[in-house]
Amino acid sequence: MVSSLRKVQIVDGHCERSEGFHSLKGHKVDIYRTIIVVLLSVFIGTGCDNSNEPEEDNTWNLVFTFRHCIQGNPLAFDTLLYTNATGNTYLVSEIQYFISDVTLYKPDGSTFMIDDQKEIHYVDTDIQETRTWEVFEKIPAGYYDSVSFTFGISEEKNLSGMFVNPPESYMFWPESLGGGYHYMKLNGKWLEPGQTTVTTPFNCHLGIGQIYYSYPDSITDFIHNDFRVSLPGSDFTITKGQKTEITLTMSVDEWFTDPHDYDFNVWGSYTMQNQEAMQQLTENGHNVFSALIE
Amino acid sequence: MKNYFFYPAFILLILISSCSRNPDTDLIPLFKPTPYTIQIPPGFPTILNIPSDNPMTVEGIELGRYLFYDGRMSGRLQEDSLMSCCTCHLQENSFECGINHPEFIGGHPHGITGIPTPHVMLPMINLVWNSSGYLWNGKISENNPDPAKRQLEDLTWMAIVAPHEMYSDTAKVTEIFKNIPGYTEMFRKAFGSEEVTTDRIGKAIAQFIRTLITADSKFDKYLRGEVQLNDSELNGFVLFTTEEGADCFHCHGGSGNPLFTTHLFYNNGKDSIFSDPNDRYSITGDPMNKGAYKATTLRNIEFTAPYMHDGRFATLDEVIEFYSHQLLWSPYIDPLMHHIAQGGVQLTIQEKQDLKAFLLTLSDTSFIHNPAFESPSDFPE
Repeated sequence: MVSSLRKVQIVDGHCERSEGFHSLKGHKVDIYRTIIVVLLSVFIGTGCDNSNEPEEDNTWNLVFTFRHCIQGNPLAFDTLLYTNATGNTYLVSEIQYFISDVTLYKPDGSTFMIDDQKEIHYVDTDIQETRTWEVFEKIPAGYYDSVSFTFGISEEKNLSGMFVNPPESYMFWPESLGGGYHYMKLNGKWLEPGQTTVTTPFNCHLGIGQIYYSYPDSITDFIHNDFRVSLPGSDFTITKGQKTEITLTMSVDEWFTDPHDYDFNVWGSYTMQNQEAMQQLTENGHNVFSALIE
Repeated sequence: MKNYFFYPAFILLILISSCSRNPDTDLIPLFKPTPYTIQIPPGFPTILNIPSDNPMTVEGIELGRYLFYDGRMSGRLQEDSLMSCCTCHLQENSFECGINHPEFIGGHPHGITGIPTPHVMLPMINLVWNSSGYLWNGKISENNPDPAKRQLEDLTWMAIVAPHEMYSDTAKVTEIFKNIPGYTEMFRKAFGSEEVTTDRIGKAIAQFIRTLITADSKFDKYLRGEVQLNDSELNGFVLFTTEEGADCFHCHGGSGNPLFTTHLFYNNGKDSIFSDPNDRYSITGDPMNKGAYKATTLRNIEFTAPYMHDGRFATLDEVIEFYSHQLLWSPYIDPLMHHIAQGGVQLTIQEKQDLKAFLLTLSDTSFIHNPAFESPSDFPE
């Protein structure tokens, strides 16, 4: 049936007979047959989807998945299990962050940057679908010896108002503190000295920092705390016909060590107006991620 | 001899018979409703929560407005037994009952038989942008195992049957409206036929509610560059959006999230013991959600006392005092409440005044006087 239908071409809602039918003109029987075929074509054609069209080539696709671990084990949320290098016992409730400007490096020094604005990717440990990122752009096939990305959003792209839809819009960074968006919200709780059960919340938030002339009122400058993350040993090959998957693992405990042992008792519960605290987290953040190629 | 005429006639018969017959349309020509497009204010989300099976139409919205205000929605006709959405949702109070409601003392509503509602009212504004569930605990959401309790549309039948609301049944309601010719005509215009169903009633009211958009407060005008905030309001805005200040913005938005809510659920430190069977924990089963409720929008907060899920605070001053000095610790407190160790954000008297001044800039008086949202002057009989 399908092959016979293909002899009929529908143009602007009308059916034109193909060459194969012209020779039948003038024969009553064949006119009826033609009418039947035309009616069937319209009837069936309007009820069908485009499944007969060639499928889009889905090769060269790159997929990132995001995992969150502490000391090599999957993060157990809201559980007071962890101790950092300064001895703080803590738990993690949720992590939300952006990565952007993902760059793929070839051995010859050439690069491919996934730099479309749409490809500023948001990860939210509370929203499962954000933990898988199927890159919109097709990636040229070939061997790549490493991956890097910006943690957060670079200064030139971190523009207030560019995300109007949740959940990304919920990451906005107040205008009075520099604007744009949080690079990260890492929220949890820790035990202050002497406490065994009563936890104190912490919000390790990264974004644009401020230099104050007279804290907290007079800001003289802003510091863009986004930073590049390089992933050595992240070589992979994009092969036609195969979907390449890269698992990015955030070792959450690494935010609190190397080079700085981060102490909640020193830096307190919040960071957005504390550039020194954000700088420590930023400098610790370079080796927070690792990559696994599948 | 073969009857070749038979084949096209047979095909035509199939085609014609494949169309379902509608008794209404046999008699009255179908009316095609006029599509209605939500005008998205600057900075507001572009993704709207409009179900694909209930597109917005001018006629659907108008029908919804009539039903919203028609006391016969209670399924009763006696003058003293009428109840509709507007019994509790007053436009003058931004579609909440308000603390000044003549019947619901202190802003605590009850149903037609006097049974109190489990919680006080939630805002009924800008809901076209809510995709995180309805009610204080988010029970009505796509995650609800009952498919009849997932959308804004479903809240209408639930209100009809709830003992603490209309305490009626949907058959009575549809029976009343299908016998009012003016309404059957409105249903025909809204949905293509005169059939009155609970589903259509819910859809029409939901369409009307989705038009209840407020985005013209003094703060909106400030963002548009049309007015300037005074010093106190500006200082309040800074307090609202800084961790060293009142730190409201993580849950309640700001210039980057003009909904002034995340529509998410937080334990904000009101209690240390939790016994409410209708908190967020009752929905998710996650112990960390004990005592958690939806963060409401702060738009029009001036008109919507009492505050919190149980209406424990009668004034904005009480709310600000609570966040400043009266927070209670529990293992379930949201980590964003990071001033808990100090009992609150410790605002000074001046800062409290400034924060309140800013909150009052979120009032949209054009919304509460918008004729498009008012009750019809008369109803079909």
